[in-house]
Amino acid sequence: MHKGVIDIPWGYLFTGYFLMLIPLLIFRYYRTGLERSTLWSLLRMTVQLLLVGLYLEYIFRWDNKWLNLLWVLIMTVVASYTVIKRTGLRLQKFFFTVLAATVLSIVLIDYYFLGFVIGLKNILTARYFIPITGMLLGNSLKNVIIALDAYYKRIDEEEVSYRWQLADGATHSEALLPFMRHALRRAFNPLIATTAVMGLISLPGMMTGQILGGSDPMVAVKYQIMILVVIFASTSLNVWLTIIFSNRIAFDPFLNLRKDIFDPGNSGKKIKRARG
Amino acid sequence: MIHVQDLKVDFGSHSLFGGLSFHVKAGEKVAVKGESGSGKSTLLHTLLGFVPQFEGHIEIDGLALNPSNIHEIRRRTSWVPQDLRFTVFPTVREMFYAPFRFKNNRHLMPRPEEMKRIFHAFEISEDLLDRQIKEISGGQKQRLILAAAVLLRKPVLLLDEPTSALNVEIKNKITDYLLGLEGITLLAATHDEYFISKADRIINL
Repeated sequence: MHKGVIDIPWGYLFTGYFLMLIPLLIFRYYRTGLERSTLWSLLRMTVQLLLVGLYLEYIFRWDNKWLNLLWVLIMTVVASYTVIKRTGLRLQKFFFTVLAATVLSIVLIDYYFLGFVIGLKNILTARYFIPITGMLLGNSLKNVIIALDAYYKRIDEEEVSYRWQLADGATHSEALLPFMRHALRRAFNPLIATTAVMGLISLPGMMTGQILGGSDPMVAVKYQIMILVVIFASTSLNVWLTIIFSNRIAFDPFLNLRKDIFDPGNSGKKIKRARG
Repeated sequence: MIHVQDLKVDFGSHSLFGGLSFHVKAGEKVAVKGESGSGKSTLLHTLLGFVPQFEGHIEIDGLALNPSNIHEIRRRTSWVPQDLRFTVFPTVREMFYAPFRFKNNRHLMPRPEEMKRIFHAFEISEDLLDRQIKEISGGQKQRLILAAAVLLRKPVLLLDEPTSALNVEIKNKITDYLLGLEGITLLAATHDEYFISKADRIINL
């Protein structure tokens, strides 16, 4: 087996971008209007990852716990910002809620996984702490967006069902239960489906990366299994905490859904407003 | 039982009720009548705390309508809304039994003979409970929600156009049943002439 990864020369890296002509031509042909945002996302991804590459080289070299914590905090702030922008909720109202839920879920899961399962003496070791936390954040981001969006959109659209339960004596959490159930189903059905076929129709990125990097396949598989478990746990904790925390700011003292939680100027994934 | 004093609801561009006052005695059956847009539904919503920007004083069963009393008030009410989409409940059974599963209402879970009696009176087939919400008609849904409200036996029953989706024969039969409920205070926003003619009293908006 080949040990150590073959580097991609810079010139060849850019020839790889020709593959993006496939989605761009399809989007153009069907006049989807997605070309600009695709190119923009591609540019952002490239610049961000190159910067991360540069940063990580130094961060790994210095391996300072405060610097590592700061880096993860920046990642968490950006993740929280992205979540809110994509759900069409007001940034000012939800930012600290989403941030608190994300930080709490990351701290708990990182502590257990890195400190107990991997057995690191210092869980803030850059080589483990940063990539693992990044993977947790990246994976939970999508699910938190889907869950928050589904939750508030459904309460707004089905306000009568929500109010009917309150008017018949439900506690706040009882009246919200069908909406929580709906949000969890929407957010987790795809993750459950992906987890179930892992290894059959897809080889996960981390495992592939480790194998390419020269790791023993079984070591890579063990890490991947644990990573999938950890992603599932942290995502569910993050989704649940985000919704629970946001309930405290999204309703008025009579438990009516506040209409000013929706941001009419947010160009993200819009929450369609039902009648007021 | 329901006391309203100088009620006014301001929506910015327009306001409703203009200082409305009324009192509904315990056990009384009152119809709220008015043109479309006069605020019949809004009145019921306000009584239930769904329109928090109201002015004036509202009391239900001796409790002033405010955030600290709202849950206690809602423990004593049952509401039948006009809009009955309810698609958040996947099955009819889940929708029907939802209010009986609340901590406050568990002791009110209907016995099979009570269910049979009310289903018979409202001409509801028990098979409906096994259907998906989207498979039943508006009239069937309205009868089910009315049946659940009656079985909850709350002291205050607030009904928003309770017979709007029903045909004439069953509409009058259900109206008679609702207006005959003893010991329950009923306030219904309605256009229905039969309901209005049979109510103890009418509030004109």
